[in-house]
Amino acid sequence: MNFFKTFKHDTWVKPYIKQYKGLLVLVLILGFLTVFSATALMFTAGYTIDKAATHPFNILLIYVPIVLTRAFGIGRPVFKYAERLRSHNWVLKITSDLRTRLYKTLETDASFFTERHKTGDIMGLLSEDINHLQDLYLRTVFPTVIAYIVALVASIAMGVFNPSFGFFVLLLCFVEIVLVPLISVSIESARRERQKALKSDLYTKLTDNILGVDDWVISGRQDDFKKLSASTIQELDASKNKSKAFRRYRDFVLQLIFALIMIVMLIFTNIHMTANQEMANYTAAVVLAALQLSDTFVPVSQGFEEWPQYRDSIKRLNTVQPVDQNLPEQVELAPSDFQQLELTNVNFEYATDSPILIKDFSQTIKRGKKIALLGPSGIGKTTILQLILGDLVPQQGSINVNDLDVQQIQEKRETIFSVLNQNPFLFNTSVINNVRLGNENKSDEEVKKALERVGLKDLLESLPEKYNTSVGENGSRFSGGEQERIALARILLQDAPVVLLDEPTVGLDPITENDLLETFFDVLKDKTIIWVTHHLQGVNHVDHVVFVNEQGIEMQGDPAELYQNNKHFKELYEMDAGLE
Amino acid sequence: MIDKRLFRLPGTKKLLLMLAGLTILQAFVILFQGKYLADALVNSWKMKPLQTIIYPMTLFAVAFVVRHLLNLINTKIVQHYSSTMSEEIRSQLLDKVYNSGPQMISERGTGNLVTASLDGIDLVENYFKLIFTKMMNMSIIPPVLLIYIYFQNIASGITLTIIVPLIILFMIILGLAAQSKADEQYDQYTILSNHFLDALRGLPTLKMLGLSKRYVKNIYTVSDEYRRRTMNTLRIAILSTFAIDWLTTLGIAILAVFLGFGLINGAFPLFPALVTLILAPEYFLPLRDFSNDYHATLDGKNALTNIFSILERKDTEDTDKLDKLTWNENSDFEINDLQFNYDDEDKTADASLDIDHLKLSGYQNVGVIGKSGSGKSTLIRVIGGFLTPEKDSDIKINGQQIPHFTQKNWQKELTFLPQAPYLFAGTLAENIAFYRPEASLDQVKDAADKAGLTDFIETLKDGYETKIGEGGRGISGGQQQRIMIARAFLDDDRHILIFDEPTAHLDIETEYALKKPMEELFKNHLVLFATHRLHWIKEMDYVVVMDDGMIVEQGTPDQLRAHQGAYSDLIKNMRGDTL
Repeated sequence: MNFFKTFKHDTWVKPYIKQYKGLLVLVLILGFLTVFSATALMFTAGYTIDKAATHPFNILLIYVPIVLTRAFGIGRPVFKYAERLRSHNWVLKITSDLRTRLYKTLETDASFFTERHKTGDIMGLLSEDINHLQDLYLRTVFPTVIAYIVALVASIAMGVFNPSFGFFVLLLCFVEIVLVPLISVSIESARRERQKALKSDLYTKLTDNILGVDDWVISGRQDDFKKLSASTIQELDASKNKSKAFRRYRDFVLQLIFALIMIVMLIFTNIHMTANQEMANYTAAVVLAALQLSDTFVPVSQGFEEWPQYRDSIKRLNTVQPVDQNLPEQVELAPSDFQQLELTNVNFEYATDSPILIKDFSQTIKRGKKIALLGPSGIGKTTILQLILGDLVPQQGSINVNDLDVQQIQEKRETIFSVLNQNPFLFNTSVINNVRLGNENKSDEEVKKALERVGLKDLLESLPEKYNTSVGENGSRFSGGEQERIALARILLQDAPVVLLDEPTVGLDPITENDLLETFFDVLKDKTIIWVTHHLQGVNHVDHVVFVNEQGIEMQGDPAELYQNNKHFKELYEMDAGLE
Repeated sequence: MIDKRLFRLPGTKKLLLMLAGLTILQAFVILFQGKYLADALVNSWKMKPLQTIIYPMTLFAVAFVVRHLLNLINTKIVQHYSSTMSEEIRSQLLDKVYNSGPQMISERGTGNLVTASLDGIDLVENYFKLIFTKMMNMSIIPPVLLIYIYFQNIASGITLTIIVPLIILFMIILGLAAQSKADEQYDQYTILSNHFLDALRGLPTLKMLGLSKRYVKNIYTVSDEYRRRTMNTLRIAILSTFAIDWLTTLGIAILAVFLGFGLINGAFPLFPALVTLILAPEYFLPLRDFSNDYHATLDGKNALTNIFSILERKDTEDTDKLDKLTWNENSDFEINDLQFNYDDEDKTADASLDIDHLKLSGYQNVGVIGKSGSGKSTLIRVIGGFLTPEKDSDIKINGQQIPHFTQKNWQKELTFLPQAPYLFAGTLAENIAFYRPEASLDQVKDAADKAGLTDFIETLKDGYETKIGEGGRGISGGQQQRIMIARAFLDDDRHILIFDEPTAHLDIETEYALKKPMEELFKNHLVLFATHRLHWIKEMDYVVVMDDGMIVEQGTPDQLRAHQGAYSDLIKNMRGDTL
């Protein structure tokens, strides 16, 4: 069965159940006590009344059940409260461990981001998966296990009086909380799967409707616009209605079985507990207590039904495995000793069956030199930067920093290289904290100085919270150009001799772009710069331009010389600048 | 609590009547269930034989089954209602998106609309369940049971009556306390809860900064801090559930004690006491059900309010004021005193418009330039009919006065090429033929050829049948623009081309390669071209310079160059230092 298959090689659920065993047992005990108190409340209440109805001479005779009734009356909410708190605490504790582990695992795998990150928001999915595991415990595991314990205890208690009745009740409980839930999950599993697929299809279509609305309006195809999602909606609705109908009838069946349990209880008490009045005083107690159990039994099926969703999350998390980086022995290179970066006949392909992306690429970059790298998108410009950083390893050729292979300096790589890319990532915290990430040992004054150099002083000081202004989610509080500047300040603090710029100005308007490039090349004038760009704005700042295309290097040289001697470059340049 | 607009939805009143009927029935069945169970138990207590309890026991079982049967019917009716209603709402939402989508998107953002039409509607279904089933149960079942209990035992009736206002009072007090505690922590809370995702997304950056290994500790600390805070809030938040539980169980316990003393004193026989005890939990049940997911279902209410506010937006009216139009070399349009204001200017990147005069005619190629946020996009989106200007704007097409450009006959003449073209989920051929779905494959191929797509398509295994768009093959920016250009070539009945910075994201060589097919396309078309790429001005025979929502200069490129004005300043700023 796929349930066991899912857990066979699982390392994301099982180990953690063992880890906080003590707390887990506590949660289950509290859960059991909650149900126990609820039933015991009705039990003692029923007994109190039955006993009182016999008009005992001494009021003290019903004193004990009265006290117990009150105790259980308070016990139920108290245990429930404690159980909810403890279970959340337990789950959140595990969450902290799972998060740490997921982060650690992903941290070892740099290529994860370059290859797999492209396929949608994998990070969002993984972090959602961990939340799903929380629900797995809270909504499925705990209620089910507690229901099982309760059913066992109840059947055994009956069995003590009469083994065959006990067995019969156990059988009914088995149908109620094992058989029906299993049937339910096996029927609903496929349907849920289908609904998930339909829902994502519908999402695509509605996005097409909304993001493409300009085109729809102009095309005048209003009918097609509405028809686009109609069939998916219909199918999804039909499937959902089936699920709902199934759930309705299943819950009804569960109640029928429960009605049977109640009848068994009534007959049992009538037959076995009417030998004398003292025993008969317990009849109402037993029946009323049993009546409380439906709240515990009926939700088990609902919890089972959610299993397919959890299964997907568990599967996905188990695909995330740590990667052995296999680095050669690490050598320390002082930033001040950096002399040159040399790429020799570098060839690179992502996989053996994909086309060779980088062909025979060579380039020597001396300390302090600035080069620009141009070429159409998809040609592998960013890949070259990743090769230089050592995140990717070429199949052939070498990449050396001074006389060291770049793989030999990975441990302290941040002292040699810094990177600024198209959408620099800003953490959702204050500006000053974001910049300080560049070098955590710098004082507030030094951080502010860096922000002044990148031209943000006036803007930040005009804000109410000044340097402590939060950048918002993904830096959204600031414009694209301002985000680049914040990231640039971070790099200034990092103070590495080589700066890799990966299209930092794409999508900015020319005036902003111009200002930003002026700032870049002004504050980074002592650095070695490798700048990937999509057009020629600001190319006057560099010593060397390299154009790459599918065949390899198309043309390269000093931009001023190229302008004089190369017709194609001249055309491109004039077009870019809008010169006549 | 209840949105009054709900009652205006068709079928709501009928549904409420049906539910009321069913719920009253249910209340009585619950009553019978309790009564016959008590009968059976009294007989057992009296140690009467099994035969004496068979009759009440059977009736109890029947009542029990009927009760759940009624519940089933109730659920079915509500589910049927909510799914029909959801589809109705979804369909209206789509109409709304079509009729005033472009303007709405610029105000509300796309995410909001997708969420409203998909996730929002699911939430609404839960909301229906809360207000229809649970509220109905709460207002009918307890009173019916209470009346019966009063008849059986007045003291019990009084006890149960007193507890309810207490519960409500506690719910309100504790609910408010939890709310204010949650509000207090909310900002910090969201930051903490999103911290992990933030860290995962920022992992490459942390790696670049050499911090990724050390940051592990931070992940744990923050996550644990989140746990601590969650527990603190939870402690108070679930207090209201605790209070209801506590009051109801305590209520039952007190009741039992009362009844016990009454029985000892011989004030009444066993039956009324037992039936009261059995019915007491049923009396509290609807209240507990309601309060349990009260907060969760409030999301549904918010979603519904959001959807209603979208549906209540006014559609653009008078979209058929313009006579049938075929734009040719003699056509013209004229704008005088046009104003357009964004509702919330902080949220939009572009400026509101205030245009004195603009007259364009025939197959002019018109460049619209200006720095970012100067109103270029707004101007061409108003002309494209995506945004509706203020009422007293003076607009004429071929001399005919129209209220705005959102005219069916005007938009039939347009092709719009945005900065980030939108590719639909579908095949390449379907995307090219989007304006003319009936076009033959040969026509599509011909258009693709003119747009310079043939080489690219030949490299694809499935050629024109290649799936693109969402989940399809990744298409580079340059090829996306070519697909748009092919679309325009295919539908040559449209004589007006509107471009919104089509090459802003492209690398210089791709842009260079695109220039030829685009120049070809410009012929025999009125072209409106918003751009900040200066070389396109050479292809234009009229230039409009925008600043702060106004036209600050307009004329032929030669006229503007000769005049040292806004045009010359702008060019100088954009170009920067040259080689």
